[in-house]
Amino acid sequence: MTVAAPEANLGILPKSDGSATFKYGGYTVTASVNGPIEAARRDEHPYKAHVDVIVRPAAGAGGTRERHLESLLESSLSQIILVKDFPRCLIQIVLQVESVPANDYVNTKLVQAGINLPIIPALVQTAVLALLSACVPMATTAAAAVIAVVPAGGSTKAVVDPSQRELETAVSSHAFVFTAHGQLLLAESQGDFTMAEWEDAHATANKICCEAAKKDGMEMILDDEKQAGPDLQAFLRSTLEAKVTEDLQWR
Amino acid sequence: MAAAASPIVLPGDAIDPSLIPTSNKKRPLRLGPGLRHVPPDTLQSTVAGELITDPKKNTMYIEYNSRRYIASPNDLVIGQIHHSSADLYYVTLNPHAPQALLPHLSFESATKKTRPQLDRGQAVYARVAMANKHMDPELECVSQQTGKSEGLGPLSGGTVFAVSLGLARRLMLPRPREDGGVAVLDLLAEEEGLVFETAVGRNGRVWVGSESVRTVVVVGRALAEVDERGAGFGEEAQRKLVRKLVRETKA
Repeated sequence: MTVAAPEANLGILPKSDGSATFKYGGYTVTASVNGPIEAARRDEHPYKAHVDVIVRPAAGAGGTRERHLESLLESSLSQIILVKDFPRCLIQIVLQVESVPANDYVNTKLVQAGINLPIIPALVQTAVLALLSACVPMATTAAAAVIAVVPAGGSTKAVVDPSQRELETAVSSHAFVFTAHGQLLLAESQGDFTMAEWEDAHATANKICCEAAKKDGMEMILDDEKQAGPDLQAFLRSTLEAKVTEDLQWR
Repeated sequence: MAAAASPIVLPGDAIDPSLIPTSNKKRPLRLGPGLRHVPPDTLQSTVAGELITDPKKNTMYIEYNSRRYIASPNDLVIGQIHHSSADLYYVTLNPHAPQALLPHLSFESATKKTRPQLDRGQAVYARVAMANKHMDPELECVSQQTGKSEGLGPLSGGTVFAVSLGLARRLMLPRPREDGGVAVLDLLAEEEGLVFETAVGRNGRVWVGSESVRTVVVVGRALAEVDERGAGFGEEAQRKLVRKLVRETKA
């Protein structure tokens, strides 16, 4: 299956400190970031900023699934935002899911019900772009990918950016978030899998998320092996370079 | 004026040692906004922007445009009185952020008996006297050295407009038209003959005062438009905009 290249737009909301829309693999997510702002008394922490993530589904009101995603994102994003620079503050990230990929095989009205993993990369990517747009100080950037292990004639193979159908038939699926330095930030898996399969999925995801970071040091590799997915670091960099160049044209 | 080869950096990028100015041995290296020192000897950026180095002053910082102001000492800001306590005014610099403190005695020739009476909502032009991540910022409207106001104090009449922090900094340059590429104020005054005064705060606030309400509106709209069009909005385009605005508002 071919997936269109990721698309992003920064600073689309006029009133928030930072915002971004990210479109990839059938998902469209818009995020707004406000911060550092005053935290509610109960969220206040004397030594660090509280990162508040709110996920709103494409249809209906959020439920347990959204709360779960929020808690995953909150803990991963607190790791990359320099929270200790803003004690007693709040950094608020609102993620509105605008569209999710349709399953061509099942006729369903209920878009909400389903597994959580495949949406994590889109949410993380959008949140990171919006944080960059808001110029919230961060230790590093992050990129995310989802890998499905699908049965293929007796054995299994890892599929990057699986379609809804592949996710349904997959033995297991894994979501990974990596920092730009190649450190693992979040790993969520579901289904039955062996350690070898997990290692394989991890290696594939690492390649997609951190390729550009490593390329800098080495001599140019002339596409001798086919890239499994989009180079997310290069995508992030080119998006931000476009934004910065536009902002600083007066110089 | 294009800054020669100032690299664009993303959060977490290590600054190449060759970019660090070394010519001036007398002064210690000073790091400005957007940079942090990771012990023992790494310099990292924390925001996406352009790395600017000044070998003469031995300083480095990241130039970027954002909307949320983070107070730092000696910045000139425009705040709004929120409320007053026994000996302090609480001043809003940013929406939803903790208020800054302005002592009643931090005005020119203020004593316990004669202190300025400022109402809620009054705009003040002040300098950030102390900014510290663990405390609310403190302001002053008087120079500590000379005891004079030096242009600081309440801003009466006129209107405060919000702009992006990047535009505010451009307006605060000694020559905004030549160095910052913002010509609208000069054009409005010189070519259209409007009479007005302005004060620019680093927190992204511009105060415009004039006898005529029409002038205030025209200036505010011109600034908002320049901010919205981005940094690539050249002087000729600004001249067209000024003419259009003046024509539209003619009674």
